[in-house]
Amino acid sequence: MKYLYKKSILLVFITSMMISCDSNLDQLPFDSFATENAFVTASDFENGIRGVYVALLGDSYYGGNFLAVPDVLSDNVITTQRGRSTLRNLHEWTYNAASGYRGLYQDAYTVIFNANQVLEFIDGFEGESKDNIKGEALALRAFAHFDLVRTFAKIPTQSSDANGSLGIVYKSNSTPSDLLPRESVADSYQYIIDDLELAYSLINATNPEARLNKEGVAILLSRAYLYMGRWQDAINAANNVSTNIASRDNVVGVWEDSSQEGLVFWVPNETGVIDSNIGVQWSQGSVANLIPEYAATFEFNALYGGSDGNDIRRAAYIIDATDDSGLAYNGVKKLLGRGTQTNGIVDIKILRAAEAVLNKAEAQFMLGSEGPARQTLNSLRSERYINAPDNESGTALRDAIRTERRLEFGFEYQRIFDIKRWGLNVNRGNEGDLSDGSGTPSIVLNLAADNFRMQLPIDQSSLIVNPSLQQNPGY
Amino acid sequence: MKSNYTWLILMFFSITVALAQEKTVSGNISDASGLPLPGVNVIIKGTSNGTQSDFDGNYTLQANNGQTIVFSYVGFKTDEAVVGANNSINIVMQEDAAVLEEVVITGYGNRGKDVLVSAVSLVTSEEISQLVSTTSVDNMLQGKAAGVQVTAANGKPGATAFVRVRGTTSLTAGASSPLYIIDGAPIDEEDLNAISNNEIESISILKDAATTSQYGSRGANGVVVITTKKGKKNKDAVIKLSSRYGVTSKIKDNFKMMNTTQKLQYERELYLLGAGSGNSPGVISSLEERQFLIDNSIDWEDRILKEGTIQSNSFSISGGEEKSDYYFSVGHDRNTGIIQDVSGFERINARLNTNFEVKSWLDVGASVAYSRALSDEPRDRNNVQNPFRAYYDYNPYEPEFILDENGSPELDDNGDPLWNFNHTGFLVTEAIATTPEIEIQNITFINTYAKVKFNDNWNFRTQFSLNHENYRREYYVEPGNRLDFFVGDPNFPGIKSDNGFQEVDYTMSNTLNYSFSNDVHSLNVSALYEYNFNEFNSYTLRSRGFASSELTTQINAAEVVSASTGRNRVTLVSYGAFANYDYKQRYIVGASIRTDGSSNFGADHQFGTFYSGSVGWNVAKEEFFNVDWINTMKFRASYGTVGNRGSLGPYGPQGTVGFGNPYPGGSTTSNVNSPNEDLKWESTAIVDIGLELGLFNNRVTAVVDYYRKETTDLLFQVPAADESGIPGFSINSNLGKIENKGWEFELNADIIRTPDLKWTVGGNISFLENKILELPDNDGDGIGDDIEPGDAFNLIFREGEAINAFFLLRYDGVDPETGRPLYLDADGNSMFLDELPEGENRVLLDKSPIAKFEGGFFSTISYKGFGLRTDFVYKSGNWINNFVQSNLLSDGLSIADNQAVGAFNYWKQPGDTGVLPNPIYGIEAQQSSDRFLQKGDFVRLRNITLSYNVPKIFLEKTPINSIRIYAQGQNLLTFGSSFFGDPEVGISSGETISQGNAIAPGEATLYSYPTTKSYTFGVDISF
Repeated sequence: MKYLYKKSILLVFITSMMISCDSNLDQLPFDSFATENAFVTASDFENGIRGVYVALLGDSYYGGNFLAVPDVLSDNVITTQRGRSTLRNLHEWTYNAASGYRGLYQDAYTVIFNANQVLEFIDGFEGESKDNIKGEALALRAFAHFDLVRTFAKIPTQSSDANGSLGIVYKSNSTPSDLLPRESVADSYQYIIDDLELAYSLINATNPEARLNKEGVAILLSRAYLYMGRWQDAINAANNVSTNIASRDNVVGVWEDSSQEGLVFWVPNETGVIDSNIGVQWSQGSVANLIPEYAATFEFNALYGGSDGNDIRRAAYIIDATDDSGLAYNGVKKLLGRGTQTNGIVDIKILRAAEAVLNKAEAQFMLGSEGPARQTLNSLRSERYINAPDNESGTALRDAIRTERRLEFGFEYQRIFDIKRWGLNVNRGNEGDLSDGSGTPSIVLNLAADNFRMQLPIDQSSLIVNPSLQQNPGY
Repeated sequence: MKSNYTWLILMFFSITVALAQEKTVSGNISDASGLPLPGVNVIIKGTSNGTQSDFDGNYTLQANNGQTIVFSYVGFKTDEAVVGANNSINIVMQEDAAVLEEVVITGYGNRGKDVLVSAVSLVTSEEISQLVSTTSVDNMLQGKAAGVQVTAANGKPGATAFVRVRGTTSLTAGASSPLYIIDGAPIDEEDLNAISNNEIESISILKDAATTSQYGSRGANGVVVITTKKGKKNKDAVIKLSSRYGVTSKIKDNFKMMNTTQKLQYERELYLLGAGSGNSPGVISSLEERQFLIDNSIDWEDRILKEGTIQSNSFSISGGEEKSDYYFSVGHDRNTGIIQDVSGFERINARLNTNFEVKSWLDVGASVAYSRALSDEPRDRNNVQNPFRAYYDYNPYEPEFILDENGSPELDDNGDPLWNFNHTGFLVTEAIATTPEIEIQNITFINTYAKVKFNDNWNFRTQFSLNHENYRREYYVEPGNRLDFFVGDPNFPGIKSDNGFQEVDYTMSNTLNYSFSNDVHSLNVSALYEYNFNEFNSYTLRSRGFASSELTTQINAAEVVSASTGRNRVTLVSYGAFANYDYKQRYIVGASIRTDGSSNFGADHQFGTFYSGSVGWNVAKEEFFNVDWINTMKFRASYGTVGNRGSLGPYGPQGTVGFGNPYPGGSTTSNVNSPNEDLKWESTAIVDIGLELGLFNNRVTAVVDYYRKETTDLLFQVPAADESGIPGFSINSNLGKIENKGWEFELNADIIRTPDLKWTVGGNISFLENKILELPDNDGDGIGDDIEPGDAFNLIFREGEAINAFFLLRYDGVDPETGRPLYLDADGNSMFLDELPEGENRVLLDKSPIAKFEGGFFSTISYKGFGLRTDFVYKSGNWINNFVQSNLLSDGLSIADNQAVGAFNYWKQPGDTGVLPNPIYGIEAQQSSDRFLQKGDFVRLRNITLSYNVPKIFLEKTPINSIRIYAQGQNLLTFGSSFFGDPEVGISSGETISQGNAIAPGEATLYSYPTTKSYTFGVDISF
């Protein structure tokens, strides 16, 4: 027992050094924050609502391929041999439950979850901004559901059986464990309308840029009513949009971000904030050395009158480009870049005043008011053409409205939904991918209006995680 | 390396010149059977002068008459001899029953092999030194230990491996890797390449609960305990120099790619069928143009790859005085890899291990080691930036540079040739030259301890072990290069990314030990208190706008694009008690209990308790047992529980949001983690029954084990419905139950054991079966719901089925009439794709990437100074989804890319069978299906080494003690593989599913770094 004293001191010292360690078991994260602490103050809710908006910019949503898919599915664009075959199964309508579009499905429900979270916390908040935040959250929730239902389900006016067919899951709480079945199309649209109407009553008339406001909600309402065939409601909602459409002088500038005329809801795409080269959806590279994924179809380019300059949108939307081997394409210009840039970085335009005009014109025609419809249509055409077409009536007027909508919203996330809701077939020309119509045509040219592939499949993985979900017929 | 010369000089100065007035005593040391004993310590009593016997049992040292020479060797009785008139003293050493022949390091308690009642596989330094010249320790374990499944991550220099001890014990990413402990401190599997093989004394792989339970909450996947070398007390310094040089290259594919003529032909054929592109050179080029393309063809594999070099140099000094010992080493390794213009992997490492007996009752010691690994990274992603994809995709008629009509490169304004960005729009050689990516990993290990001996029975040890990693990655898109053209901004040319982290992981450990032994009883009891702290700090910075490609630091950038830092911290507090007892080494019992508290569980569930019990009976030690030729016959059994928290992030139970995702106007609130306050430990119960045999003087040894592991409360990202919209579409939960069971056999035999000729063979085989017993039941139908794991391709988890089974549509060949592909519906009826019934037609196949059995076998023959060692590894019963083959036989879908010659073998006329589908049905044929799912069986000659020990007689006049020269080949032969490409698959594509996130290693090929073969020559010298 020599040195017992020394040894014991050592033991006691070491042991006491360690004794405090237990208290270190309670660790809090450094990089994140408890959810309930994040929704308390007015600025918390500002952050919170921006968190809903930023989710709109998911890779498969408005920050990515949803900017292309509605045109890729349609007759506006053609896959090029020079490209990387992106979205090819959508273009060729070969998608099935294994290769569906789950990205959009998940991205949209992420927006919805974020919106529901804000809506649940806002009940306990009594600040001045409460109504506005609530209005924005409701509008975004409806907006995301709307994109889902028009992609994965029929549109009410599409066919007589549409309203009773499978819609989507309308998610109005943030409970993750729910396994909900799909609503009918009619019910889905009713929920969208309910949310949008309430949002319209709550939201501010003006909000900072990159945020929705009353007019943005009004455009969504007019779109929803139009899709439902509630023509007068569509007109009324469109009438609530007073923003001027882009004048002819500014049409090119709008797509190069030098003008914001006619924009109602758009997201500035700046370095350090969003900084997303969304143009990669259509092409990479420069005008003289383009790698186009898709180009405007020969037929669609011709519809703009070629490069005769009569329709200003040809210059704003389509670019004459060549690839490295000198082949010429009608490249898609809308997302190409600002000014001479071709880096694919431009502001993300989501809602424009022109849609209210075209929604209204179409609804007026459907109500039989041809005169007002023509007048409304002309208010747009006068700002697009040097010599605008005029004086159509009957079916010709209907077709003129439809054509104008196709031209105005070419490459702008509308086309397949319009074809669907008009009950039309997709008919692509047999021309090739090059600007003169030569080259390789699309492999599949036609999709009949009643083909089940008009509704994209619910991904088989989504079905596995929610056994209450029902697949669309045909898949 | 330049400093080689410095080392040589240092060595020569450190040799002490022979002393005068002494004489040379020499002799041979052998065991009772006449076998030479190498490595016996030969020391002059009362001094620190001494030597060691060489490989042939010979020794030589200087001594004076009358001095006593002491011969000592582990497992033998120490012998002494007095120096007299005779200059030659030969010694026959007697085995010492009382001395434990082999001590197995099990971490907290080291046990003699005779009394160890746990399934532990051991790899010793001798074996390590003879094994494959890999730069990472874990790769070396492949085929060495039964029950240890090792799958190399890929062939990248410095790459580590996927190690699975007895199967897959977790269903989540990164949670099935064993715990690695180096000298008491944990280290990540990915960082094992920081450890030089030369520094390792032994590797113990703990497989059953008897030992892993001592590691409590981290032991469920087995524990790999690595100890580094230390010096021997009372021993003169031994200086060792090892040097190796070799070449490495890709293992040739077992298929051929099309040459220019063939590809042009193929393009034309497909166009005529109506399946190809009208713009293909094979369609539009004239005869003259075709000839030009043929004349200017390029072999892309040859252009992109190279024959790499492997270099390794290391140097060590070890020895000790009466009360201290030391081991010092420095090493340098380089493996350039096989990509042209990529400099590969380089590592420098240094270590000093010391132990001091500072008082009769007090020992202290310290180890300090540092390793710096530098890796010049190629892109390992499945796109145009991947060099290993490029040489398959680029057509041989697409030159590297734009050519004029004479076939010479066209030049730009600076006189540099103009790159030809072939049909992919990208050129890998340009990218390699202008998109440098480098990773630097600095790791420091520090381990200090003090041990207080209270008396013969009681002692107390306190230890502090630290492992500090400083990692840095730099990635530069040089201004104006192709990638910059695509993703950059011409006003701000060039993009630089820097990211990295600092990770500190330290463990403070205190053990109080009591031990007692006499001739009959032996008892050992320890109590443990341990605290483990891990902190991770990361940063990432990105800037753009560089004036010159020479400027690579971000201070020169025009503007910062993004910057962020992150931090997290995990702590673990543990209390344990371990006890072992044996009665005359015949009857052995052991028990352990450990309670761990971890900060990454909910407040009420931080603590988990894990225990084990083990028994053993060594029949051969019984008095009634009198079978001469059986020396060991030990039955053992153990049962215990171990935990796992591997898959869980640091703050798993807490519902959290972050704000890092900016939106115009300011911050955004984004959900990070969904709350689950009930999260608790995942727990695995292990039963193990084993038999160890030693026959014919232990010339034949065999081990058989049966085990069953049942893991419950699986920590699991339980998928939520897509409609939930929550982050990751899943919530951390404890749900489900899985089972792994199997048999393991190990056999080693010294077939010939004479002084001149020795032949040893050995091998092992492991059979593994696993099953998912229970999965979460969200829909309430009483049966667990199917789960499709993320970070895997085409797998599904289903209750009652094997883990990682493929879930795919079944391909059924082509219709002989039309060449149209056929598929099977869920009921097994053959039909065309568009005839498949609505709903689910995929089925769960009885095929998974997990091998049914695998292992290795070896043979070593030594004759006089010559040695020949061969090591084989093998694997059978695993399946691999061959996406690469699908792209190379793409049925016309990837007509723009080059194709394998086999693509010509498509359906051409009615009646054709066993062919590829008619390319007009390309899209139908290239559905996600089991069409390219292939067997991964193989036997590979991992290593063959021919060595020669220079006889003493040539070295007598030199200060050199021993010289070993050798030639080694790695992966020279592969048998039994029917796989299209190389069957050794780990990572599919590193940037698609990283090594740390992979759930099912070896499930698919997707252009990761290929396996290489190498030839090396080396020399080991000791003084």
